[in-house]
Amino acid sequence: MSSTTLSLKAVSRRFKDTIALDSLDLDVAQGELVSLLGPSGCGKTTALRIIAGLDQPNSGQVFVGGENISHLPPNKRNMGMVFQSYSLFPNLTAAENVAFGLTMRGEPKRLRVQRSQELLELVGLPKHSKRYPHQLSGGQQQRVALARALAFEPDVLLLDEPLSALDAQVRANLRDEIRALQIKTGTTTIFVTHDQEEAMAMSDRVAVMNQGKISQIAKPDDLYHRPANQFVAGFVGQMNRIPARVNGTELLIAQSTATVHPLSEVNSGEGLALVRPENVVIQSLKGQQVEGNAVVISRAFLGPISKIVMRLEDGSEVSSVMTSAQSTEFLSGDSVRVSVTPGEYLLVEA
Amino acid sequence: MKLFSRRQLPLTLGLVLATIFVVLPLGSAAEFSLREPLKNTHGFDNYTWFFVAPDFAKYLGISFGLALTSALILLVLLVPTVVWLNLGGSKYRGFVEFVSLLPLVIPVVALAIGAQTALPDFAQTNEVILAFMYAVLAVPYAYRTMDTGLRSIPLKTIVEASRGLGATWFHVLFKVIIPVIRSTVLSALFMTLALSLGEFTITSLLHWDTFTTWVTTMSQSNILGAIALSVFSLVSVFVLLLVISVFIRPTKSMVISEEN
Amino acid sequence: MSTPEVVSLDRKGAPIWGTLIGQFLKALLALAPLLVFMSIFFFAPLWAVVLDSFKSNEGNFTFANYADVFKEPIITAMRTSFGLAMVSALVSAVPGAVLAFLIESRGSDRLRQVVASISGVLANTGGVPLAFMFIASLGAEGAATGLLKAFGLDIYGAGFSLFTFWGLVLVYTYFQIPMMVIVFSPAIHGLRREWNEAARTLGATGRQFWANVGIPLLFPSFLSAFLLLFASAFSAYATARAMTNGTIALVPLMIGNLLDGNVIFDEVNLAKALAVAMIFVTLLAMVPYIVIQRRAQRWQR
Repeated sequence: MSSTTLSLKAVSRRFKDTIALDSLDLDVAQGELVSLLGPSGCGKTTALRIIAGLDQPNSGQVFVGGENISHLPPNKRNMGMVFQSYSLFPNLTAAENVAFGLTMRGEPKRLRVQRSQELLELVGLPKHSKRYPHQLSGGQQQRVALARALAFEPDVLLLDEPLSALDAQVRANLRDEIRALQIKTGTTTIFVTHDQEEAMAMSDRVAVMNQGKISQIAKPDDLYHRPANQFVAGFVGQMNRIPARVNGTELLIAQSTATVHPLSEVNSGEGLALVRPENVVIQSLKGQQVEGNAVVISRAFLGPISKIVMRLEDGSEVSSVMTSAQSTEFLSGDSVRVSVTPGEYLLVEA
Repeated sequence: MKLFSRRQLPLTLGLVLATIFVVLPLGSAAEFSLREPLKNTHGFDNYTWFFVAPDFAKYLGISFGLALTSALILLVLLVPTVVWLNLGGSKYRGFVEFVSLLPLVIPVVALAIGAQTALPDFAQTNEVILAFMYAVLAVPYAYRTMDTGLRSIPLKTIVEASRGLGATWFHVLFKVIIPVIRSTVLSALFMTLALSLGEFTITSLLHWDTFTTWVTTMSQSNILGAIALSVFSLVSVFVLLLVISVFIRPTKSMVISEEN
Repeated sequence: MSTPEVVSLDRKGAPIWGTLIGQFLKALLALAPLLVFMSIFFFAPLWAVVLDSFKSNEGNFTFANYADVFKEPIITAMRTSFGLAMVSALVSAVPGAVLAFLIESRGSDRLRQVVASISGVLANTGGVPLAFMFIASLGAEGAATGLLKAFGLDIYGAGFSLFTFWGLVLVYTYFQIPMMVIVFSPAIHGLRREWNEAARTLGATGRQFWANVGIPLLFPSFLSAFLLLFASAFSAYATARAMTNGTIALVPLMIGNLLDGNVIFDEVNLAKALAVAMIFVTLLAMVPYIVIQRRAQRWQR
């Protein structure tokens, strides 16, 4: 496979008065899939387009395999790109679409036909080669788009929210297929999305972006359990904000003791502790000699797990997740005792 | 906005050429009309002539009235139809488009004599027949303009939202849809105006007298005056158009697509 | 509130309208105003003309009028009309398409709006005002003629005349180019930015994009716009009449002359046959138009 490394060095981009990218640095290893995750306007799509050459930065450079490609136009960068939707050429069949990159490179017809068939099989559409885009469903179109982007063995694969326009079920299936294909071909890939579940499920590393900068870039695991700052903590996964108080070396959260995470903004006095729902423990009061400190408000069934929302004595709301089987014992209106598992928690301003 | 950057240069060039193309005949006609051969200078003699001509106001009024009437007819006919087409009737779009283009390709002469034969009483006795015929002639453009205008807004969403909030169809049409496509509607109005001021064939074949036929008759005796008049009417329509364009917000081409 | 997709039910829960018939009837109702209007003021007149074209002066059924259509001088007029329409359409289609492209792809929203409005006005400028305007500018005594003379270009000395075939073509472009802009712009509007970007990332140069994707996609619409221009130029009457006064043999002018009684009174039905012949030609142009449009629509959805 011809894949290589990708680097962005101090890339900045400004539109009129807004700063889209603020001196962005990014290093992607060969064969790695890195997601750019963030809210609208964080700059992730801008970054992708700059990598592709569809947009020019105000300053900074883009390197592929160690070479500075910043001045190359998009058609010379050897990158495959998949757009959000409707990017297949309507006047060409699926096979012709897939072969397009090879056609542009002047490859002989026999090779084009063979390769295009190969890739259509790879994306699970072997019998659709003669169909036109308007005869394909959304999911099928995106698969053809993916095949088209990979057909000429690009150095880098760029995906701009390719699943956003699809139905939930199609999205989930395609997500796994894209990842499997990416691993199989070993292509260095950048995946832009606003859906953190998608990013976490697919990526080797996730770069959480905010206002033109990378807030944190780490493996999904690290991002989730060891968020480097408040933005990441709040953006990735669900997070409870529970009133807490520092007492000497201890952190008192809902009457349970824990410790303050060293990276916290707040180290003393009162604040809000950032607690993951899975670290919130609910104890039924039945037959126990403990006092309740919360009331169950609602229960959301999410399939394998369920989420229980409770109101603490001071009025704040807390959610906890557990297996659905476990959750059945807690009914709306029940008095319960809430505590947090021991450990370090980020403390932020109240 | 127009820039002179490398990318925008073709557009600017094209627009400059187009403006020259449009303005040159108009401008030269204006110059021509300002000539006073008898005095060998330029002046407004040709214009003052027709302003004081006895029936000027009368015929101008007739043409304006007809223009307004046909514009109204068009609005009443087309807005609900185009709205319906965009809301749920998209299957029939091709059919309606075809029908709407027919007046464009049929010789107006045929239409005129046909009208005389088919609707003899109505055509002879009531001048408003002209308004209807003008409306027919304007259908191709009016339909297209309105369709393009309505397609650029998320119509279905707007209508469902307002209906959900309790608006009647009447309210939706007048208070919600039309304000949004105001500039489209105005475009259609101007088109009708231009058309009615210039329409001659049907008017003369049906033996009615409007501004245009009056000008043609007058031109037999005063060609310069007639030309001045034509120039004047065209220029006024243009000026009005540009003035209003500046003040009306364009119907933004919203990037929000309707397939969500 | 019901949309055409929802089937109304009566109190017992049975559908009142059969789904397909019901939808068709609803469509009929919605389209009724327009269709009724067109029927009275468009189709009925046309039908009257068709019927009369088969009548002789005494009112008997005859093909004689149509026989006359194929004889001189009419057949020459047909050829001239056809030629005029073709040339005028071609000369207008290309600049119109280019302008439409530039405005749609690089113009602001406001510019597009203004252009659309102005084009609408210009495309409907015809007949008498237009003729006068051109006579005033490029006629023998015209202002533009004078201007060109000042630059050393004596067009009339070189043999140009506004009252010839080519003079008429020039005048026609004045309303045909705006018509092209109006009719062709939606096609360009439908060219998605993603196609161009995708093509570029796949290695295509600008030229390759246009050759492989852009032009194939735009060509049908261009062709159908051209056909429209042809049909409208073919049927144009008022401008030609105001400009030529019988010096150029055109079918619409012939019709006008026959109706005015400039020839012989009892040729009125011949005029109608001529009109029908014209309609036939333009309809011939419209059939490929519809076919092309329908195919192109498929791609653009």
